[in-house]
Amino acid sequence: MSETATPYGLIAEFATPADAMHAAEKVRDQGFKRWDVYSPYPVHGMDKAMGLKNSKVGWFTFCGGVTGYTLGMVMIWWMNAHDYAIPVGGKPMFSPFSAFPPSYELTILLGAFGALFGMLIVNRLPRLHHPLLKHARFKLASHDRFFIVIECADPSYRGDETRALLESAGGHNIELVEE
Amino acid sequence: MSAPKQPSQTPTLDLSRWRNVPNLMMGIGGAGALLGLIVNPTQFAHSWLLGFMFCLSLVMGALFLVIVHHLFDAGWSVPIRRFCEHIANLVFPWMVAFFVPIALFAPKLYSWMDIKDRAGHPALEAKYPLFTMGGFYLVSALCFAVWWWLAKGLRDASLEQDRTGAAECTHRMRRYAGGGIVLFAFTLTLAVILWMKGMMYEWFSTMYGVYYFAGSVWMTLGTVYLITMVLKRNGTLAAVLHEHQFYFIGSLMFAFTVFYAYIHFSQYFIIWNANVPEETFWYVLREQGTWWYVGMIIIFGHFFLPFLALLRIDLKLTFWWMTPICVWTWLMHYFDLSFNIMPTLHPDGFPLFWIWLDLACLALMVGLLTRAFLANFARHAPFPVKDPRLCEAMGLIAPCASPISGGEMDETDELADALPQTGAK
Amino acid sequence: MARASKTVNGVQLTAPPQELVREPLVANQRGLGWLSDAVAGISERPTPKWWWPAFLTSLGLMTVCFAMIAYLMSTGVGVWGLGHPVMWGWAIVNFVWWIGIGHAGTLISAILFLLRQRWRTAVNRAAEAMTIFAVMCAGIFPVIHVGRIWFAWWLFPIPNANSIWPQFRSPLMWDVFAVSTYFTVSLLFWYMGLIPDLAVMRDRAKTKLKKFAYGLFSLGWLGANRHWSNYEKAYLLLAGLSTPLVLSVHSIVSLDFSVSQLPGWHTTIFPPYFVAGAVFSGFGMVLTLLIPLRKMCGLEDVITMRHIELMCKVTLATGTIVGYAYGMEVFIAWYSGNPYEQFAFWNRAFGPYWWSYWIMLSCNVFIPQLFWFKKVRRNLAVVWVMSILVNVGMWFERFVIVVTSLNRDFLPANWGYYVPTWVDILTYVGTFGLFFTFFLLFLRFLPIVAIAEVKGVIPQADPHHPLGGAKPGAHH
Repeated sequence: MSETATPYGLIAEFATPADAMHAAEKVRDQGFKRWDVYSPYPVHGMDKAMGLKNSKVGWFTFCGGVTGYTLGMVMIWWMNAHDYAIPVGGKPMFSPFSAFPPSYELTILLGAFGALFGMLIVNRLPRLHHPLLKHARFKLASHDRFFIVIECADPSYRGDETRALLESAGGHNIELVEE
Repeated sequence: MSAPKQPSQTPTLDLSRWRNVPNLMMGIGGAGALLGLIVNPTQFAHSWLLGFMFCLSLVMGALFLVIVHHLFDAGWSVPIRRFCEHIANLVFPWMVAFFVPIALFAPKLYSWMDIKDRAGHPALEAKYPLFTMGGFYLVSALCFAVWWWLAKGLRDASLEQDRTGAAECTHRMRRYAGGGIVLFAFTLTLAVILWMKGMMYEWFSTMYGVYYFAGSVWMTLGTVYLITMVLKRNGTLAAVLHEHQFYFIGSLMFAFTVFYAYIHFSQYFIIWNANVPEETFWYVLREQGTWWYVGMIIIFGHFFLPFLALLRIDLKLTFWWMTPICVWTWLMHYFDLSFNIMPTLHPDGFPLFWIWLDLACLALMVGLLTRAFLANFARHAPFPVKDPRLCEAMGLIAPCASPISGGEMDETDELADALPQTGAK
Repeated sequence: MARASKTVNGVQLTAPPQELVREPLVANQRGLGWLSDAVAGISERPTPKWWWPAFLTSLGLMTVCFAMIAYLMSTGVGVWGLGHPVMWGWAIVNFVWWIGIGHAGTLISAILFLLRQRWRTAVNRAAEAMTIFAVMCAGIFPVIHVGRIWFAWWLFPIPNANSIWPQFRSPLMWDVFAVSTYFTVSLLFWYMGLIPDLAVMRDRAKTKLKKFAYGLFSLGWLGANRHWSNYEKAYLLLAGLSTPLVLSVHSIVSLDFSVSQLPGWHTTIFPPYFVAGAVFSGFGMVLTLLIPLRKMCGLEDVITMRHIELMCKVTLATGTIVGYAYGMEVFIAWYSGNPYEQFAFWNRAFGPYWWSYWIMLSCNVFIPQLFWFKKVRRNLAVVWVMSILVNVGMWFERFVIVVTSLNRDFLPANWGYYVPTWVDILTYVGTFGLFFTFFLLFLRFLPIVAIAEVKGVIPQADPHHPLGGAKPGAHH
């Protein structure tokens, strides 16, 4: 930890998903923007409790899929009907039927890349370092505990007031995490 | 899931204005069918077969949904099971009665019945004794008997559970479903081969039974969605329906949209690519004249359009969006059946002129079936009132001490935090 | 005993009778922390005694596989039993068999996810690992089957020395795309599922090396809900993409046969029939692997009898679908009146390879019918033996399709009897070494159950359930 440690955010611990969810609703209603709930598994209903919008990952998949299909069809037409036509078995040089299976596979391949990499891009991952990873109790976020972290950079962040909010929402072990 | 809520305070749907529609359909349809029978009996037979296969799709689709409900030990589909049981039970006496004209006009429909010298037709001779008059009627009767037995057995046990709430009824329905699915698969395949594929007895495809099944269940799901929606909005099932029924039926529709396309593409593609004349003639005929456009309608209307329309999660719960899609499944299934049945009679193209007769036969049958269905539906509880999985269907945690954590309820964000304590024992 | 009952929305609800209460997915009310300890503990504990002998045996067998391939490459395909008229032998049988096994992993991870079958969470990780390793084994065969392996790159859309492109009207080209896509997407899906669990391993790691390795591959995952939200969407999308993928892969494999004109190969039901058979054999393999594994790793509370029973039911269902397809094939051969079709099926059942046809029918259709009985489904020893028979049967199915359709062609001049050589046999046996080497490494270093996913399906994880902290009567 460096000499000039700047505060990153306020962390509060919760024992059950219900507690974390009710607390998240309180934080959401206070209009915070830069905050998050940390849990060992995706808690159903938490998106609503946090006021999150529908994920954007679908668009990456959609674009990947469309690219894949177009690429497949154009590639097969270009290779087998245009650049070097090979007559085989009395079949047309290009047919959407026989070109369908490989194009379909490319649709799925690029769609799947879109889903995984889209998720990573939207989540700003991979990330090799994070202030929370230094916090001793935070390791439990992958075990059986739930945490709410409100960043100091949030415009609504007001030191003691925010701490009181987390306390009243039922948070335990409220601490300031340093950058 | 970011689904918009259905406003629960929408005004209750008043259906009394529509009460006479089935009678009207029967009247107009009956008159039209009679006229068709007089002016062109052959066309009448084909139109009647089309209408019959359409209604059979619905009845068999409903039977299938009831059977898989038990096979999967599903929870969510309990509220919609009762009306599916009623639809499945229309097989007797109604579908049997509708089969009578087909039985009578069979020689007009099935060219093989006219062939006296079987030895000159090896493709027909091979099918002895299935493709003989005796074989045809015997197998048809056998199929109806199996379906009736299954549909009746499943509904009887279900109604008995309404009274007793006994677990034994659930077990009995499961036994019916277990044996039933095997019988269902074989009888439906046989029936479709005999009644539809047999119109061109020279042609063969191992996929054909699955193909009819896929289209039938797809259309049935559209119909089930509509019925569920109506029963929610007029208040009959409002107390037990949850958002997830609509979501799941919509998802199944989507799945069957893809499944049908997969099956039909596979059948077409394998025949197209192998290019064996014994098989290709069936599709060659269906690319003549306006049949080619019907084929295009099936590709785009039976697959692409519903595929795109059903892709989004939230739209599966939006009634104004789903209603036209459900009605669209009827239209597409009609075209699909026409594509299978009519080219033998009209090889030059889709018989646009005779559409009125198709519709008249269909209207007569659907009108009758609707009346019979409504009468049955009114006689019994609208949903299985003592089914042990009913609370799951309503999206509630089972009101018993042992915590459940099965794959039963997923939409937990819609659950009440706990059951209301009032009336708790 | 009176059952609890309440009235909701004017409907009287009664608790299900005891015999119909669903068994919990995780037995003994195990909690969130216990799941981490139980699963992560497997690879944290010292290497168990059985692991090294098993690993070394597998490694030895894998060496045999590569030695056989080296022998084949240096000598030529003549070392196999292939020849006129059976030009496709064990290599293609093994290819289809292995890739079929892979399909259960994708079915569990993708299709059961879409069908909301939450029991899948306990078995999907191991099944997906099985998929990846099975596809690796499968992929070897078509490549070495081309004969001159150094030209295998001609299969990719790269112009070869004469500037000729691959010929995309051939189903074998479709295979290249299908199998490579399948492998890649399965790997992506598997890895994405692993990310949160690698974070669990990272947070528990004691040594620097482990901290570094798990930390690197977990990509800095923190379990933030904003991340989970995107993650779940991506998971749903991958499941949605993998479902048509898994259907298409085996459909395309089936097109290798069915777009031809050969009796016994050319039949329209092949695509769905192959898919059902693939899922059938895959579940057989999952059962074969997991029944001993749950015992050895102490996971009886996670992979419960309910899971085993459900997998038996899937096996029964797919086996019966396969039975329908066999029935349809024979029926349509009769129905078509085509003498060549009829001969092909007569030859299968009563020709020189009659034994393979009857082994296939017994193992795939008749024996699985025992799964109708609960007593059988709950008897682990019987289920385990039957799961092996399933895979024996499915191997013979591919043998029947490939060999009996080829061994007696249209003209008796083209008749022959195919026998494999020792190289054929050892190559096949060697792929088991490859499979188990990877699988044992997976057991040792990665969480074999999807920890985060199983956590999500226990009542303690549900904020609306009393065990998840919900207060009675409270609404939010």
